[in-house]
Amino acid sequence: MKLELGKIPIHDVKFDSESRIEGNTLYLNQEELISHLMVDENIKSITIDVARPGDKTRIMPVKDVIEPRVKVSGKGQVFPGTLSKVETVGQGRTNVLKGMAVVTTGKIVGFQEGIIDMSGPGADYTPFSKLVNLVVVCEPVEGIDQHTHEKTVRIAGLRAAAYLGNLAKDIEAEEIETYETYTVKESMEKFPDLPRVAYVLMLQTQGLLHDTYVYGVDMKHSLPTIIYPTELMDGAIISGNCVSACDKNTTYHHLNNPVVEDLFKKHGKELNFVAVVITNENVYLDDKERSSDWTSKLVEFLDVDGVIISQEGFGNPDTDLIMNCKKIEAKGIKTVIITDEYAGRDGASQSLADADESANAVVTAGNANMVIELPPMDKVIGYQEVADVIAGGFAGSLKPDGSITAELQVIVGATNELGFNKLSAR
Amino acid sequence: MSKIRVVHYINQFFGQIGGEEKADHKPEAREGFVGPGMAFQASFKDKAEIVGTVICGDSYFNENIEAETEELLTMIETFKPDLFIAGPAFNAGRYGMACGSIAATVKEKLGIPALTGMYVENPGVDSFKSKVHIVSTKDSAAGMRDAIKKMAPLALKLALGEPIGSPEEEGYIPTGIRVNFFEEKRGSERAVEMLLKKLKGEEFTTEYPMPDFDRVDPSPAIKDITKATIALVTSGGIVPKGNPDRIESSSASKYAKYDIEGIDDLTAEEYETAHGGYDPVYANKDADRVLPVDVLREFGKEGKIGKLHRYFYTTTGNGTSVANAKKFAAAIAKELVSDGVDAVILTST
Amino acid sequence: MIIITNNAKMMEETGNSIEKEYIDGTHKDVLIAVRDRIHKGHRLLTHPLSGSVKPNQTPFKSVAISKVPEKLDLDSLDIIEKSIRTYEQFEKIPTDNGKANNERILNDYREIDYKLLESALISANRRG
Repeated sequence: MKLELGKIPIHDVKFDSESRIEGNTLYLNQEELISHLMVDENIKSITIDVARPGDKTRIMPVKDVIEPRVKVSGKGQVFPGTLSKVETVGQGRTNVLKGMAVVTTGKIVGFQEGIIDMSGPGADYTPFSKLVNLVVVCEPVEGIDQHTHEKTVRIAGLRAAAYLGNLAKDIEAEEIETYETYTVKESMEKFPDLPRVAYVLMLQTQGLLHDTYVYGVDMKHSLPTIIYPTELMDGAIISGNCVSACDKNTTYHHLNNPVVEDLFKKHGKELNFVAVVITNENVYLDDKERSSDWTSKLVEFLDVDGVIISQEGFGNPDTDLIMNCKKIEAKGIKTVIITDEYAGRDGASQSLADADESANAVVTAGNANMVIELPPMDKVIGYQEVADVIAGGFAGSLKPDGSITAELQVIVGATNELGFNKLSAR
Repeated sequence: MSKIRVVHYINQFFGQIGGEEKADHKPEAREGFVGPGMAFQASFKDKAEIVGTVICGDSYFNENIEAETEELLTMIETFKPDLFIAGPAFNAGRYGMACGSIAATVKEKLGIPALTGMYVENPGVDSFKSKVHIVSTKDSAAGMRDAIKKMAPLALKLALGEPIGSPEEEGYIPTGIRVNFFEEKRGSERAVEMLLKKLKGEEFTTEYPMPDFDRVDPSPAIKDITKATIALVTSGGIVPKGNPDRIESSSASKYAKYDIEGIDDLTAEEYETAHGGYDPVYANKDADRVLPVDVLREFGKEGKIGKLHRYFYTTTGNGTSVANAKKFAAAIAKELVSDGVDAVILTST
Repeated sequence: MIIITNNAKMMEETGNSIEKEYIDGTHKDVLIAVRDRIHKGHRLLTHPLSGSVKPNQTPFKSVAISKVPEKLDLDSLDIIEKSIRTYEQFEKIPTDNGKANNERILNDYREIDYKLLESALISANRRG
């Protein structure tokens, strides 16, 4: 399966009477976008704002970050099964608006979390401070439950991204990147001497506000399965995960999965990137046993020599991570796992809730308990008062001047466990 | 800028006072450098100056840890140091404990940087690596030159408040404290590179070493406790009065085996503890508190157990290295098995 | 199955068909009660560290265990012991929930705890 990504660099977003892309600027008719989003009867009002790199702006609480994309050719549409009809994606050409993102905010639960600082020390820890962010603030109708609220904001974000992506449908991208995965037999013949490598991508699936959707399927009800890496690039995997800002995989992360990108870089040269195996992180222990049996069986079936395993979240998923690692290593397949750490504020505690000696190759995305001072910003998009209660915040965290003392946990994507960042710990 | 003021701590041996026979040497402070301090001074050039050296006997320190730490702290403070260096202690257990303890205390109480150096198996490493930087040295004083080559620059960096690199770069033993930093490459790229190394069988360094797994499967339960021979083994240092085998009060290098045939009770006249580092008053008054010979004798008479084994084994756990402890245990276990002992009660302090 | 919980919503919503033990205590008290049951031979059915809300944040916890005690299950014991250790680790981190936890937030914590366990009930109901 072969996919071309046409990259269209966006340097700024401006409001205008007609939505369009000219050069590297995206012009947006915001009324049009708002009415496009207001089709959902659960939305009371929507406001739209722009945050640019270097601005003294804080966005909080962030629910999801999404990169606008559009199918130019090939089957299906972006976000299949959630926004468009279910049809296998991942081939043909897709245009991407590089350098910008849609950011959704919303107080889905009282302790809703997630900060993006566009400048200052907090900006160093989130990849989204480097993007021009179109922020969609969704106010739901009264009396809506948390589940519906989450879905409403989730879909609104995808809709906004698809709307923006659509503006690039007919643009000829200057930079095209090609990703190709061969079938099992083809790749065996093409790269007989290269080590065969698979990627086991663990998806957050614990329940309310902790869910991930694959072609619209709630992944907790699925057995682990195989997916082409290019399907991810067309939005086959959608984040419904709102908890633990630092290590949740936003939809942006799924679209730009760094393990997929970095395996592709060595694909056909130093390794043969065979497939992505997606699996879940259920609460029910029998599900964990079954799913980890299944991932190890699938990678064995694929006859791979090595596997990278990434997890999402902390605690319950640590058990899945270790089970996957142990069972895959037991089949004689080499593993590297990617995680983050909760080693306490002093860094002296045990970093993971589970451990096993077979996990002898670990990449860490840093200690999420580290305390950080976020100075006041000139502008807050969203709801600043939630700083006191968001994950990793603690009483007194929001000072009268608007500065925040909190753990790295509160920053969107700070300790991403796909290895999106350079942050590490030792 | 004025020179960094350094105070150096050494034991009686490096202070050229004497060997084991002088291990009870009381603390003293001297102006300037003594012994290995000369090499440190040479290495510092004109950046730092050893203004004072504090010397204490290893046994004396380890038997009076709390009081001695206080006394030494006062001596060190009078020199108004900017930096404190202890040792290096190489593989000397009691010296290592002293260096670790004082360096950690100076760092905490005086708020100045402190550094020591030890061989990785020195018991002082496990006790203090999370509290103070410990440079990894060779296991004997033959490694002095190498140790100073690593310790001197790290000490200056600490004193100047410069950022400290990784354990590999700077030569210190990993502290076990997790500190965030920015890598050159993102995590996914590091993961792919690590996997390729692992696949090729090349050396790679995990970024998070898993905790040590020293798992012991529990033995099956005793079938009939009323017929079992039970032995007592302790790391609580219970010995016949006078400590005839001279088991060290800490960092023990040996264990001992004593016959308790016909003894129903460990009395204050006959038994005591050799263990340092805890208040021995209650153990010395009645050693059964640590090694319950009296109760097991009663149980034997009442038929609750078969009998108490004729010998008990003892050592001190205080600062004893894991390697030594394992060696003792293997030897003790072998004897117990061949003597037909069914079960062991292990006691500590 | 038996649900050990200190979450009132769990008591109200799941009806009488499922056996429940209400713990009038803290999150940690629930974990300890679960550990005691595991010592008696119950098996752990759901992960005690469910949810990405950290243990020092949510005051509510529900854990499902098997109904009939059998032989001590060492895997269950391993997971609950590690979970308690992790809880204690987080417990040391100051989070003054007194100010933060107004009734709306407490309700959200109850709801999340309830929903996470509910997702496990769906899995559990597939078993004979």
